[in-house]
Amino acid sequence: MRLPDSVTGSFLVVLGAAAAYGGWLLPPVPGQPVGPNVFPLVIGTGLALCGLAIVFGIGHSFEEEEELIPLDDGQTAAAAPSQGRLYGLRALLPPALLLFYVVAADRLGFIITAAIMVYVTSTALGAKWKLALPLAALSPFAIHLIFGKLLRVPLPAGLLPTPW
Amino acid sequence: MLKTLVEAFALISTWEVIIAMFAASVYGLVIGSLPGLSATMATALLVPVTFYLSPIAAIATIVAASSMAIFSGDIPGALLRIPGTPASAAYADEAYAMTRKGQAELALGAGVWFSAVGGIAGVLSLMILAPPLAEIALSFSTFEYFWLALLGLMCATLVARSSPVKAIAGMFLGLLVSCIGIENPGGVPRFTFGLTDLFGGIEPIPALVGVFAVAQVMRAMLTPEPPPLPRRKFGSIMAGQWKLTKKYHWQMTRGNIVGIIIGVLPGAGADMAAWVSYAMSKRFSKEPEKFGTGHVEGLVEAGASNNASIASGWVPSLLFGIPGDTIAAIAIGVLYMKGLNPGPTLFTEKASSMYAIYLMFIIANILMIPLGIAMIRVAAYILLAPRSAIMPIIMLCCAVGSFAIGNNMFGVVTVAAFGVIGYVMEANGYPVAAMVLGIVMGTMVEQAFVTSLIKSDGSILPFFERPVAAILAAMAIGALLWPVMVWVWRKVKPVQAAAATSR
Repeated sequence: MRLPDSVTGSFLVVLGAAAAYGGWLLPPVPGQPVGPNVFPLVIGTGLALCGLAIVFGIGHSFEEEEELIPLDDGQTAAAAPSQGRLYGLRALLPPALLLFYVVAADRLGFIITAAIMVYVTSTALGAKWKLALPLAALSPFAIHLIFGKLLRVPLPAGLLPTPW
Repeated sequence: MLKTLVEAFALISTWEVIIAMFAASVYGLVIGSLPGLSATMATALLVPVTFYLSPIAAIATIVAASSMAIFSGDIPGALLRIPGTPASAAYADEAYAMTRKGQAELALGAGVWFSAVGGIAGVLSLMILAPPLAEIALSFSTFEYFWLALLGLMCATLVARSSPVKAIAGMFLGLLVSCIGIENPGGVPRFTFGLTDLFGGIEPIPALVGVFAVAQVMRAMLTPEPPPLPRRKFGSIMAGQWKLTKKYHWQMTRGNIVGIIIGVLPGAGADMAAWVSYAMSKRFSKEPEKFGTGHVEGLVEAGASNNASIASGWVPSLLFGIPGDTIAAIAIGVLYMKGLNPGPTLFTEKASSMYAIYLMFIIANILMIPLGIAMIRVAAYILLAPRSAIMPIIMLCCAVGSFAIGNNMFGVVTVAAFGVIGYVMEANGYPVAAMVLGIVMGTMVEQAFVTSLIKSDGSILPFFERPVAAILAAMAIGALLWPVMVWVWRKVKPVQAAAATSR
């Protein structure tokens, strides 16, 4: 997800301008010179200016490349197999699973939703079913015991209520 | 004084506090030792649990877990050359070189011992610095708070290890996030896009969990699994530490002082302290050529530094509600929730709670020595756990924890959204710590800014009239102009700059 500075900078310019404009539209407090509109105006302007500076590469010389500590020889080659273009999209799996939780938890219940989340995450990280399946079967109960029972978070019961 | 101390002892000597502290210590040690799980993440995931604890027990868990996690990040750093937390990254190479020379015990022992010493030095600074500063802070008006907050935000951008422009942009993004909701001077819905869920604004805690925990799981999806730890038997871990203390007492003291100063600066935390101290140690060492080959000196100084910054990061947090680092930013959220609102009056009205915090820090750092030694001995077994078993649990904790904050599914959506934001920002060189600081401090900055504007009635003079305000203003403007001046300087004198960087 490494984008060129011109893209992220332009995005910030647009976002800043939108924020400043949105702030400007807000109704003022009657009889007061300053109200809820001032702060977004200042922030938006600042953000847009920063975006401009980034587009023009100002401050780029300060950036230090991230120092990745190299693994011992031999392991690096094995660890980075070349995947297709879809490989990068795997990173979106965790937020997608969280949204799945939001949609499904009330209907399916905590235990089932959590088990699916655990199984998918574990498999995506390279676990065999021998590890992923028991993990998906046991960990939702453990988390439910801690949060639902001990800390009294109202977790949805759904289709499969817990024995306690 | 003595009476408050006795009261503080009574506050912390309940079973709830003792158990919470012990459990949080073990939790912090385990999370810190796992590569990729940082101390900030450990603390953020702990917050939902603190809802259900008494105020003192809640703070105890944060104090214990954060101190322990910063130390135990040294363990995989020394044994695998993969730092467990970013705070250990500065000297992971050095510690690993020592392990290769067969000095793993000495490296890890130095980690435990000098972390504990550094932590206690940090607490002492908290005890000494905070009360007199509180005295001064009592006379602050909104003008001083405005400049102070601005100075805090600017510090965060100055010390970031990336382009200052990007850091400032990150900070503005955080401030923009804090604009959402109806909690503004006019009480009108702002940037809510008609969504009722956004009326209450974005809670800092789910945003933090998203930026630090979910984004980490996302990165794990694309990075290779770290190699398992080779099993080994350790000799005596504490042997030789007293000798090191005597030999390197000056380095240790310097590490403590640097750690304390960096901790107090808003936004700069343990990782920055470790980098600066390690570099300083090398710069002033009598034998700089030994650095990088497994020399313990830098470990002593940086280890003493990163733990000192943890405690001193609480100074601005407790006094002004301005977090000294990201862990303190989380702590501030918990303090508000527990009715211990940060501010100078905390030291007069809730003095016994303050002493309880000091005591807990001291106890946590003493507890670190036996627990740390035990942790080093079992580390080989814990590090056997594959990432594919740990990350799914982290995901579940993110979902349940963010739901628990408001018993509301919107928290989970916030976590997911900030996971993506944090991941994209980090991948493109925008420091997320600056954004977090913006989110946490936004409401306070706006309030101080707008109230000051109304009071000054259109004139700019009152912002500089009071002496303290003028000093803070000069510092804040200086911090703002500093990167510009450096940039201009480099443009004007490219040859000299090139010579300076290659040195």
